Amino acid sequence: MALYAILQVIWWLLLGVLLTGLAVMVGMDMGVGAILRYVGRNDLERRVALNIIGPHWDGNQVWFILGGGAVFAAFPLIYATAFSGFYVVMLLLLWSMIVRPLGFEYRSKLAGEGWRNVWDWSLFVSGAIPMIVFGAAIGNLFHGVPFHFEWNITSVYTGSFLALLNPFAVMCGLLSLALSVMMGALTVMNGAEGEMRERASTLVRIGAIAAIVLFAVGGFWVHGMAGYHMDANPGAGVPQTPLEQSVTVASGAWFTNFGAYPALWLVPALGFVGMLGALFAAQSGRSHLGWWLGALAWLGVIGTAGAALFPFLLPSSSNPDMSLTLWNASSSRLTLAWMLGFALVFVPLVVWYTSWAFWVMRGKVDPRRIEHDEHAY
Amino acid sequence: MHDITVVDLSRLQFAATALYHFLFVPLTLGMSFMLAAMETVYVVTGKSIYKQMAQFWGKLFMINFALGVATGLTMEFQFGTNWSFYSSFVGDIFGAPLAIEGLMAFFMESTFVGLMVFGWERLSKGQHLAVTWLVALGSNLSALWILVANSFMQDPQGAAFNPTTMRMELHSFQQLIFNPDAQSKFVHTSIAGYVTAAIFVAGISAWYMLKKRHVDLAKRSFRMAALFGVLATIGVITLGDALGFVAAHAQPTKLAAMEALWKTEPGPMPFNLIAFPDQSLQQNKGAVRVPYLLSLLVTHSLDGSMAGFDTLQKKAAQRVENGIPAVQALETLSKDPHDAAALAQFKTHEKDLGYGFLVQRYAPELDKVTPQQVQEAAKDSIPPVAAVFWSFRAMVGFGLLMLAFFVMAVLYTLRNKVQDKRWFLIAAAWMIPIPFLANEAGWLVAELGRQPWTVFGVLPTWMSASTHSVGYMAFSLIGFVLLYTVFIAIEMYLMVRSIRQGPQEPGGGGRSEPGPRPQPRPANAAAVSGRYQEG
Amino acid sequence: MKTFFYFLLFLVLAVVVILLAVLLGDQGAWYFAWLIGTAMIVLVAAAGAALLDTQEEHAAAAQRASTDARADRMA
Repeated sequence: MALYAILQVIWWLLLGVLLTGLAVMVGMDMGVGAILRYVGRNDLERRVALNIIGPHWDGNQVWFILGGGAVFAAFPLIYATAFSGFYVVMLLLLWSMIVRPLGFEYRSKLAGEGWRNVWDWSLFVSGAIPMIVFGAAIGNLFHGVPFHFEWNITSVYTGSFLALLNPFAVMCGLLSLALSVMMGALTVMNGAEGEMRERASTLVRIGAIAAIVLFAVGGFWVHGMAGYHMDANPGAGVPQTPLEQSVTVASGAWFTNFGAYPALWLVPALGFVGMLGALFAAQSGRSHLGWWLGALAWLGVIGTAGAALFPFLLPSSSNPDMSLTLWNASSSRLTLAWMLGFALVFVPLVVWYTSWAFWVMRGKVDPRRIEHDEHAY
Repeated sequence: MHDITVVDLSRLQFAATALYHFLFVPLTLGMSFMLAAMETVYVVTGKSIYKQMAQFWGKLFMINFALGVATGLTMEFQFGTNWSFYSSFVGDIFGAPLAIEGLMAFFMESTFVGLMVFGWERLSKGQHLAVTWLVALGSNLSALWILVANSFMQDPQGAAFNPTTMRMELHSFQQLIFNPDAQSKFVHTSIAGYVTAAIFVAGISAWYMLKKRHVDLAKRSFRMAALFGVLATIGVITLGDALGFVAAHAQPTKLAAMEALWKTEPGPMPFNLIAFPDQSLQQNKGAVRVPYLLSLLVTHSLDGSMAGFDTLQKKAAQRVENGIPAVQALETLSKDPHDAAALAQFKTHEKDLGYGFLVQRYAPELDKVTPQQVQEAAKDSIPPVAAVFWSFRAMVGFGLLMLAFFVMAVLYTLRNKVQDKRWFLIAAAWMIPIPFLANEAGWLVAELGRQPWTVFGVLPTWMSASTHSVGYMAFSLIGFVLLYTVFIAIEMYLMVRSIRQGPQEPGGGGRSEPGPRPQPRPANAAAVSGRYQEG
Repeated sequence: MKTFFYFLLFLVLAVVVILLAVLLGDQGAWYFAWLIGTAMIVLVAAAGAALLDTQEEHAAAAQRASTDARADRMA
């Protein structure tokens, strides 16, 4: 049993790592999409911005696919309940995301101004909307969502689409958007020169300040919010269904973990340090350092949410007793063990060759080259 | 309780998006290895025409690749959004290969595809070649893991139901990945991709030869495609036969549907070359039969026999009867997980649990099941015969047609005469849609033949869907239809346009359509032209 | 030193390949067939292209020889 509990916690941590990877790598590309029309004032400048992430967006997007796959494999009940419950939101996310590969690949294949403008705007939409949905989805975890299970663990969602867009969730969405704008702008600073770099630097400032404010406001908001408290469950590392526990709703319950383990305050602190660091680094022109600090900020933000929610993953607002936790929603011991084996081999490998790809394509993107390269975006 | 309209709409949506996705995937699977082959010749011989080939076909590859990636996202979402019960019921097994696919294969493919396109000037020849090979390996490994997951639906091996957690759980990872269905289906599908790419390249090259454009490049591309294609087609047919052999053991209903075999007959069995199956009467309205052939195909012997639907349906009815106590035991266990009597009852009837679910569609309360409802459920265990029968014949027919085409193509090209055979070049261009049709037909055989199950014998399709409203389903279906229609129009337009433009040749020779390309500025002219002359 | 690292790299690769072949050959015969088959298909296609180059060179040489011969006769 102990081994199973350890595997569950490891996968909970790994989920955090994968979500952070998703937020950092996909978030920066989406940030570039969201700021494309501001940071690039003419077609050539926009192409420079697109070609900065051009060789990498596809690889980065796999973090998103892997995030989905890992939730499916390690926490199948979360995948089943959340994806079907958030049906309309998920489809909006999906549809905005599937426009993106085409935006990159097809935009510069034809010269017409109208054609390129349409793709620019679709890249904007497919950058901004998924990041808002990503943040809003995490925001909704704090409120809980209305669902329950039938005797055979068929999940039934009873809420409406609009309820998912409550004020707190929207605020979390904006936080996520602000961070991705910051990261996108830092990426543009890394790869562009002159005026574009100046404009990107302004956007880093806007994004970072907005993120700092929203993260702080979010903290106070959650403090006054009704949270969930686990009263009894079969225990960690015991195979179980979500029908066997009792949960109460109490104001301020999301701060229980921070009260019990004050060291956890370092996690939100890491978020603030990352955002402030990215802000100052960008101001002094050191955008690469800023990018790494921005990645740290994401880790802090996602870590804060995870630390507050633990052991909950998806609380149910209509039937709190049926809330999903990492103890009752995870895969079996054997699956978690096999998956861990694969993750231990392949995550370092992926990080290694991704770094190599970035190293190969390092340096500034030359606008003159783009004009003559038929492979350029 | 599930609304059957919603289940049907979910099925329609899944089939439509999967078939659409599967238009692009096989070309990616095969084209990536063809690019690797072309670039290998370039690196070994140093002749720059092979670099042009790799770059030109690489451009078409990318137009196709973008849509494959985009529509693949839909597939990843849809298990959760529309098949939530399926996802939680078998996610413990099914999710793992999907996650490993991302980790091991898709990351590799996607990271290196960026370098393949953007890295021509930044990587050494050898490095770039390695990158191209890794793209090919990545995309095919990706297919491997997806098909391992799919094979679990066809022949659920390496898993068992756990009444404590109310779901299927993994028991042996080795059995999951070395499932005979996974093995033969992966090789069959991957190589079908090679055939698709070979026809695509051969057809377009033939068109260039007809128009007397880019003839050197087209001749070489055609030669490579013909050899690539003929070997791949032989492979596909061999593996198709192996798959049929696997299905005979794992999915007898699928095999009976493929052959429209309503009644079990003693061997030697004749083969229904053409038949008009009638699902409600359970017989064929007329058939053209070839003696001995079915026994030969299915059992690889002259007097072997296989079960027809009369036998299979009787067996299904027995299993439904036996499965009912299993579901009832589970219901008791969900209220009291420690009820020993219920657990014992479940263990006795466990292997027919899925058939118990099957009858719940007609009898939600299992203590009031009538014999008629049992018969209805048993009848449900027969997949849609006519659709499977004809999809199978279409697939095989197209396969044999392509084999004949490639044999001729190899004969002509090895004598270096293909450019003079006008009629054959025209035929080659017209062959382009054939592999795509064959692929889609193959998908239909595999997935329609699996009905009424999502996981064969374990979980019925009607239970697997999410509990959405019809309105939600209408919304998503309309959205998909609109988006996907626009996408395919754009893709086809760009593809045709790039083909008409043709490859860039040194000094612009052979370009029939100069087009409004920006003239290189003098300062860069040397660098630009230098790029195409290197090597 | 560089050569030594290459040697090590290829040594590791060789071990991996042998292990894979043994494992696959034992449990996943079709997977093994795919690996071998794909490599063969690619190599045959590549060899076919190289053969075409040779054929064209021979044809060009033969043509040159015959025009030379004609020129000789005329002279």
